[in-house]
Amino acid sequence: MRRRRILGPKLVLAALIALSPCLAAPSPAAEPSGDIVLMAYPGAFQDNYVKAVVEPFMKAHPGVKVTYNPGGNSAQMLGLLRAQKANPQVDVAIIDFSVSRVGNKEGIFSKLDRKDVPNLADIYDEARMPGDMGPGITFDNLVMLYGPDQVKPAPTGIKDLLDPKNKGKIGFSPAPNVIGIALQIVVAKAIGVGYKAPIDPVIAELKKIAQNVQTWQATPDNYTMIINGALALGIGWNARAQFYADKSGGKVKSIVMQEGGILDMDTINLVAGSRNPAAALAFIDYALGPEPQKRMAEAMYYGPTNKKAVLPPELMARTSSAPATLAKMIPVDWDYVASVQDQWTERWRREVIPAQ
Amino acid sequence: MKRAVAAAGPLAPAALLTAIAFVLPLAWLLRLSLDRSSGGGMLVDAVTAANYLRFLGDGFYLGVLWRSTWMAALASALTLLLSYPLALFLARTRSRWRGFLAVLTIAPLLVSSVVRTFGWMVILGDQGWVNGLLRLVSLTAAPLRLMNNMLGVLIGLTEVMMPVMTLALIAGFARLDPTLEEAARSLGAPPRKVLLRVTLPLSMPGVLLGSLVTFVLSISSFVTPKLLGGGRVAVLATSIYEEALETLNWPFAAAISVVLVAVFGVALMLYERAMRRWMI
Repeated sequence: MRRRRILGPKLVLAALIALSPCLAAPSPAAEPSGDIVLMAYPGAFQDNYVKAVVEPFMKAHPGVKVTYNPGGNSAQMLGLLRAQKANPQVDVAIIDFSVSRVGNKEGIFSKLDRKDVPNLADIYDEARMPGDMGPGITFDNLVMLYGPDQVKPAPTGIKDLLDPKNKGKIGFSPAPNVIGIALQIVVAKAIGVGYKAPIDPVIAELKKIAQNVQTWQATPDNYTMIINGALALGIGWNARAQFYADKSGGKVKSIVMQEGGILDMDTINLVAGSRNPAAALAFIDYALGPEPQKRMAEAMYYGPTNKKAVLPPELMARTSSAPATLAKMIPVDWDYVASVQDQWTERWRREVIPAQ
Repeated sequence: MKRAVAAAGPLAPAALLTAIAFVLPLAWLLRLSLDRSSGGGMLVDAVTAANYLRFLGDGFYLGVLWRSTWMAALASALTLLLSYPLALFLARTRSRWRGFLAVLTIAPLLVSSVVRTFGWMVILGDQGWVNGLLRLVSLTAAPLRLMNNMLGVLIGLTEVMMPVMTLALIAGFARLDPTLEEAARSLGAPPRKVLLRVTLPLSMPGVLLGSLVTFVLSISSFVTPKLLGGGRVAVLATSIYEEALETLNWPFAAAISVVLVAVFGVALMLYERAMRRWMI
């Protein structure tokens, strides 16, 4: 009893101290200030994102300094965020939606409020994440890659992966990579069963494709291997395919398979426990706006997730946000896929990858 | 007692470094291997042997362990076979080029194994030099599969490991007294017998050390199996990578890592026993 009486006032004081940042937090309308850390991909993404989004944001909000921290691939970034969970050093993270989904469930990211992030209202439904968590900022989609000099006529879909003529000329990443998982969904559609149906017939079909595969580990990647003629066909992502098509003068081209494609996106996330949520939210809102999204499409062919981003028609047609492309995407229940992904991956490892 | 304390003083920094850089991470790894991962890579706090039971109860992962072990053993044997004459020559030659040749042998260590593996890809690929040459002399119609399989991994590993093995062997030869070989020869032993009965047994410490180091480096090597295996050569290191960075199942990745450390332990034990046998 005595103990409780002594603790009582302390608890109240502790609660007050804990709450004080909330009490003192500026209203959303106030101009944000201070430093924030943005963690996202290294390399070309960093170069373009700094130019297209980070620098213009700092110009618009001179009080905020954004530090770009290249964290590696999505899984590595999730690892860093997990390790810092008690004391986050990052305020905003851009990672693939298949990984941010895990972070959302683990409580690493916070949900977003439309009051703080008005641009959320203009986001395509496809870009929304369950529970108002960090939404997509860029769309991308699964495509078939091919070397126009080697594959004539141009491929149309899954049947080209099965064609004996392409034996030893195919390369793509197998499950657990998203590309393998996504291809399994497209193959299921090609043979007329849903991806939620028992997967035996789909695995049998994938084993036939596997016999034509030269490498499951294209190095540096299958876009480059098609450009230099070491591969003829592959599965990859639209934005990079468009980028490499320009860079190589058309030595690698891409199509959305006739069976359909799979939509992929990078999401922008508010890290739970961010030390400067006001500036972090201002940045997220800015990144979701039409202008920065348009600039990213111009730089890297990433499809805008904001409906109000207006692109020149020929550029729009080359991004995933083109209405014709969006219409071909196979709707996927990713929660279901997450629940069976381990089983799928085990079948790939045991049956598909070793198939000769 | 006093002496022990005095001896411990200079060792303290190394001991501290080992504790921070080796013992602590290993303890953390052990702890993590007892956690659970729910579907989709969510980390769940637990104390369970499930990850180890999964590894040991599954023919696929036991196959991975077996494949890693024989791959590393075979790579060590091939490396030894190729490095032994080279090391013997370097240890014995009186040429004024000796220093230069020794540097040349070890020079590959200055280049990262990633770069060297890339080099092998250029040589072994379907459109690589070897297949190009075979095509040129019309020996083969379809390209030979020299990589994207275990053959490519073994070729790459052997070359990557040769400088390490050669260094260990040269160190071993330095302790070999050449007068013993002269004695054998003067007593009428043919060269083959001198090599098998005198030189080889006396160089065993170097051979064992070189083999241990190559085995441990090969079984834990990641880059060469990953790049030259074409995704078909599943070994412990590539499985750890996949679980940690693709399926995000960290506890299982930690459990496979602990298995790998256990393999190191067994290799070290065998080495100690073999050393005792040969040092007498």
